[in-house]
Amino acid sequence: MYYPEPISKLIDSFTKLPGIGPKTAVRLAFFVLNMKEDDVLDFAKALVSAKRELTHCSVCGHITDQDPCQICTDASRDDSVICVVEDPKDVIAMEKMREFNGRYHVLHGSISPMDGIGPEDINVPDLINRLKDDKVKEIILATNPNVEGEATAMYISRLVKPSGIRITRIAHGLPMGGDLEYADEVTLSKAMEGRREL
Amino acid sequence: MHIKDLTLTNYRNYPSLAVEFDPKVNVIIGENAQGKTNLMEAIYVLAFTKSYRTTKDNELIAWDQTFAKVEGTLFKRNYHVPLEMQFQAKGKKAKLNHLEQKRLSDYIGALNVVMFAPEDLNLVKGSPQVRRRFIDMEIGQVKPVYIYHLGQYQKVLKQRNHLLKDLQRRKTTDTTMLSVLTDQLIEHATIILAKRFLFLDLLMNWARPIHEGITQHKEILSIAYDASIDIDNDADVDTIKQRYQAVFEQNQQKEIDRGSTLYGPHRDDLIFYVNDRNVQTFGSQGQQRTTALSLKLAEIELIKNEVGEYPVLLLDDVLSELDRYRQSHLLHTIKDKVQTFVTTTSVNDIEHETIRQARVFHVENGSIIKQEGDKS
Repeated sequence: MYYPEPISKLIDSFTKLPGIGPKTAVRLAFFVLNMKEDDVLDFAKALVSAKRELTHCSVCGHITDQDPCQICTDASRDDSVICVVEDPKDVIAMEKMREFNGRYHVLHGSISPMDGIGPEDINVPDLINRLKDDKVKEIILATNPNVEGEATAMYISRLVKPSGIRITRIAHGLPMGGDLEYADEVTLSKAMEGRREL
Repeated sequence: MHIKDLTLTNYRNYPSLAVEFDPKVNVIIGENAQGKTNLMEAIYVLAFTKSYRTTKDNELIAWDQTFAKVEGTLFKRNYHVPLEMQFQAKGKKAKLNHLEQKRLSDYIGALNVVMFAPEDLNLVKGSPQVRRRFIDMEIGQVKPVYIYHLGQYQKVLKQRNHLLKDLQRRKTTDTTMLSVLTDQLIEHATIILAKRFLFLDLLMNWARPIHEGITQHKEILSIAYDASIDIDNDADVDTIKQRYQAVFEQNQQKEIDRGSTLYGPHRDDLIFYVNDRNVQTFGSQGQQRTTALSLKLAEIELIKNEVGEYPVLLLDDVLSELDRYRQSHLLHTIKDKVQTFVTTTSVNDIEHETIRQARVFHVENGSIIKQEGDKS
């Protein structure tokens, strides 16, 4: 199939996005052709400014348009607790909860020797620096419950332990409002392990 | 449990086939390359959603066709359960009771199958990997959580080996990460080893009397677990964990020098003894065969024990390799309780009495050309 160069370039760009296959890319590209020029311009500007104006917060590593980020500069937040997550999306998930009022630290990944990612390749050294501040009393490790996430959590806990700061790991188990019968065997067995006295 | 009927569409050399089976013994006769094993494979596929002969599902689809389908009716606990497997270039679908099962693990286990094929002789003769796979498959069939730990173990092992290589080449000097991965490894290794010990004990309890029966009480079978660490086969979880911890601690430098994980379930093996002699090294061809057979028959009892019903037994081209006595003993032990499928090239290979009671199918070039035996 022959496409004029401008549109083939556009299709090619869309295929670079996650979840977009060749067919969807063609569909999106042709849709763009029929959009109003203003909308297309706004779209293009939004793309560029998202990339240019957003940086990573120099304190916590979360995405932000001002440095330090809003969460880090918010004086009403509790300095004594830091929640460590793998990804900026995890911060947003936590914030949706509106229950946690401490600070965050975004690692941007997890330790994986297989992929050549060591502790210094993710935001671990910065975290250690932040702990030099006496205000920090607790670290909540909220990395993902998979092999790499667990390893990263264990690694950080070992580095931090000597400092005497309290280290906690989020619980694994059943989703709320769900039915027991739909839980998979592994989640159930984790939930059994983590049961507590009433 | 037994399979009542089977329908194949575009499956290997079967363009279309519909067949009803006997709830007891079914004999499939045909020349070489006519489709006997394909029929067995189809039953296996219906149970495990994949073949034991290939890892590529596409090979199951007949030449020049776009899809293949295996359907069967399973009779289990007084119910008829329709099973269906569909294969297409882009993937496969498993249907249980006409409902698609998104997770294959929800489908596997509906039909339990024990297969004995010539390759299974490797269980005794082959590499340790074959025996580890045997033990893992068996435990996995009845304990899904075991599969999870095994998967996690493999992942941690990969990570740990990479880190050990990095340490060996001095790309990094961080041993904190190594100790983290060691702890993770031990956690899963302990569970795996404890479950294997438990399973082995059960397996031996079943296999020993069966083996004695087949050999007319001349041979006593025993199975030993050859662990990469020094540990008793009846050690409890805490002891196993402590042993692993001690071994990994003592050998950290050795592992770094070698750049690889030297201890753990991935280095373990099973050793079979007949009358206290290692069958793998000192056993005759016949002894090795009998050992493999005893293990498979023990597997049948194990599944019965766990699931509550006997699985379906597939004997692909093995009956002719056993002598008359072993053959009749085998068929006697399974008769009346286990639905069995037997393939052979000639009726003469099989004891007359059995044939008389069985339903016999003659296979030629992808279809059943003749059927005989009781059609009750």
